[in-house]
Amino acid sequence: MTTLTADHSTDRYHRQMLLPFVGEAGQAKLLKSTALVVGCGALGTVIVNMLARAGVGRLVVVDRDFVELSNLQRQVLFDEDDVNGLVPKAEAARAKIARINSQVQVIPLIQDLNHTNIEQVALEGDYGPVDIIIDGVDNFETRFIVNDTAVKHGIPYIYGGAVGTVGMCYAVLPHTPAGDKPWEIAGRATPCLRCIFEQAPPPGMNPTCDTAGVLGPVVSIVSNYESIEAMKVLLGRYESVNPNLVSVDCWENQLRQLKVGRAYDVGECTCCKKRNFEWLDGVYSSSTTTLCGRDAVQLTLAPGESKLNLVQIADRLKAHGQVKLNPFMLQATVSDNAEAFELTLFKDGRAIVKGTKQPTRARAVYAKFIGS
Amino acid sequence: MIYLDNAATSFPKPPCVTEAMSRFLAEDAANPGRSGHRMAVRAERMLDDLRLKLTRFFDGEDAHRMIFTMNCTDAINMAIKGLLPRRINGRVPHVISSVLEHNSVSRPLQAMSERGQIELTRVDCDDQGRIDPADIEKAIQPHTLLIAVTHASNVLGTIQDAQAIGQIARRHDLIYLLDAAQSAGVVPISIRRMNIDLLAFPGHKSLLGPTGTGGLYVGPRLTLPEAVGESGEGEAGSNGQERSARELSPWREGGTGGDSTSPVQPGLFPYYLEGGTPNTVGLAGLMAAADYTAAHGAEHLKHERQLVGRLLDGLAGMSMIHVLGPATPEERVGAVSIDIEGYEPADIGAIMDDSFNIAVRPGLHCSPYIHKRMGTYPAGALRISPGPFSTEADIDAALDALKQLTGG
Repeated sequence: MTTLTADHSTDRYHRQMLLPFVGEAGQAKLLKSTALVVGCGALGTVIVNMLARAGVGRLVVVDRDFVELSNLQRQVLFDEDDVNGLVPKAEAARAKIARINSQVQVIPLIQDLNHTNIEQVALEGDYGPVDIIIDGVDNFETRFIVNDTAVKHGIPYIYGGAVGTVGMCYAVLPHTPAGDKPWEIAGRATPCLRCIFEQAPPPGMNPTCDTAGVLGPVVSIVSNYESIEAMKVLLGRYESVNPNLVSVDCWENQLRQLKVGRAYDVGECTCCKKRNFEWLDGVYSSSTTTLCGRDAVQLTLAPGESKLNLVQIADRLKAHGQVKLNPFMLQATVSDNAEAFELTLFKDGRAIVKGTKQPTRARAVYAKFIGS
Repeated sequence: MIYLDNAATSFPKPPCVTEAMSRFLAEDAANPGRSGHRMAVRAERMLDDLRLKLTRFFDGEDAHRMIFTMNCTDAINMAIKGLLPRRINGRVPHVISSVLEHNSVSRPLQAMSERGQIELTRVDCDDQGRIDPADIEKAIQPHTLLIAVTHASNVLGTIQDAQAIGQIARRHDLIYLLDAAQSAGVVPISIRRMNIDLLAFPGHKSLLGPTGTGGLYVGPRLTLPEAVGESGEGEAGSNGQERSARELSPWREGGTGGDSTSPVQPGLFPYYLEGGTPNTVGLAGLMAAADYTAAHGAEHLKHERQLVGRLLDGLAGMSMIHVLGPATPEERVGAVSIDIEGYEPADIGAIMDDSFNIAVRPGLHCSPYIHKRMGTYPAGALRISPGPFSTEADIDAALDALKQLTGG
């Protein structure tokens, strides 16, 4: 195609190239960059949209879900055709971006990202090792796996999360044993996610977007923070990367900058100080068993998890379907992607998801309604 | 943890099993029959001793025909796929099986049936899971080749009259494959008296050996293909071609140690069927287990029936619980499956584990046809299976948990 919009000129980036820290050299850097966007939901679509328009050359987008109607309120790359066509999110993002900027490439990976495959995706794809990993994830397990990967291989990682009216964003520029990464040479390495949050919250204790709701502008704000931090990193402008954890509550009109810089120096982080990559090694990974009988998958958490408060979780799930509770278990009927699931939760955190034989599907339902 | 899932695999194993495996692995774990050095010879001798022991234990006639397998499923596949597919008098053969079968029997047969390689009749049972041998006899047709049935149901626990079925098989000159997954080691089995042609059994259930062990006893009515019979050479296997009715092909082919000049499996039992390095460490454990079981098997049966009796008595008082299978412990092995009103078995299984620290097995137990027959498909049932080391206190704990769950 030799149309005006698909040519190889950089005219389309003129407005951002006017900025002194972008310029021609910066734009060339962006066009040569590869970013891994983990999750293509509310956060991920905004990030992919922004970075693709800004001319980040390759965007590897991983998501296991399909577009559903309740996504359209905030997931900016999708439309009703995607819902009707049951299009996978990563593929829908690719198709949309192809019409927006044919100079960049979206590589859709329709799959679960977990400790067994993340290094392959981040380091061994046809697209080469990625330059940055950006968080569009809905659960802590994946975040800690991403954080481990980032630290182990010295890849910058932009963390972001939003639920309800609050959100957070933080850039991990990992410390490495050699200390020779450009951000380390610039003296701008930052604590990793585990320096700040040592452990994932127990399942069911944190609200999720599917249970507590979320406002579109909040995820947009957070994911745009993520996008700008990612651009700074890809441009090599480490001195401009925000070393603080940004926390925003758009309803209470609070914007806070948490100074976390000392967490690395004072802490004994298992991940970035001891270089013990427990999440990547699967120590904490939940396991799934497809149960004999009805379509059902059991998710079992790693040993040592705290007991769940079924009463509290039942309270939260009440708004989403029928909930039955007895001293031994909680049973809830929930709906995801227009499919009905029965979710049975036990005190030790295990869950049986009925209505599927696919472990990936069961994990997705668990992550959405219980959180992990 | 209170372990009541012995029908899946027995736990714990007698300490002598662990010791034997550990000792063998540390001192003697050479590859048997692959060379003449002393360690290899010791390993080979251990296998031979075990063949003899198991052959005597099950009252077979020839220890060379005791073939080691990875488990009971492996043994059943070796039997079924060694015999089938084939044609008899120009047509596909007929096989008689039952609704009680585990997937290890029903899946290979069903797959062959769907491919048009056999005709399959699945004989029904009564409400307690008893097969009437007369029904098997009625199902026999002129081209029937094989009767493949389970000795004891892994869902209902019901023990079949294996001897009566064997008599029928012999009378009609049919091959009789008995799946002894739930019975071997606890219910007495006599290959000769019961007229069993192919006995498939696991090492890791009531024989109390480790997982990864099992066996197939191949009776003398089963023959090697004529071409390999004496000379040890020639074409084994037949792609469903015409061949002698009782000819067995090797299901797994490969290295056997001796006679490497033969271009195909050597025509000599047990090597004919035993391609590949055997699980010697596991078999060393099975050796110790077989000794232990030979000495204590009768007590185990009595003990398990006492526990089953206690369990059945306790369950009888619970109105929301329906017991599947025979009411009398004497008709059962140590497996009791129940259906609980208002609960899915999978949920009860998880609660028993999570809240009560009791391991039981919910679901279909790999035996979908009997659950369909009993009306417990597709959710299945909850199986409680005590073993030789289970106690009355274990049974009482399970009963107490069920009482709390169902409110009595």
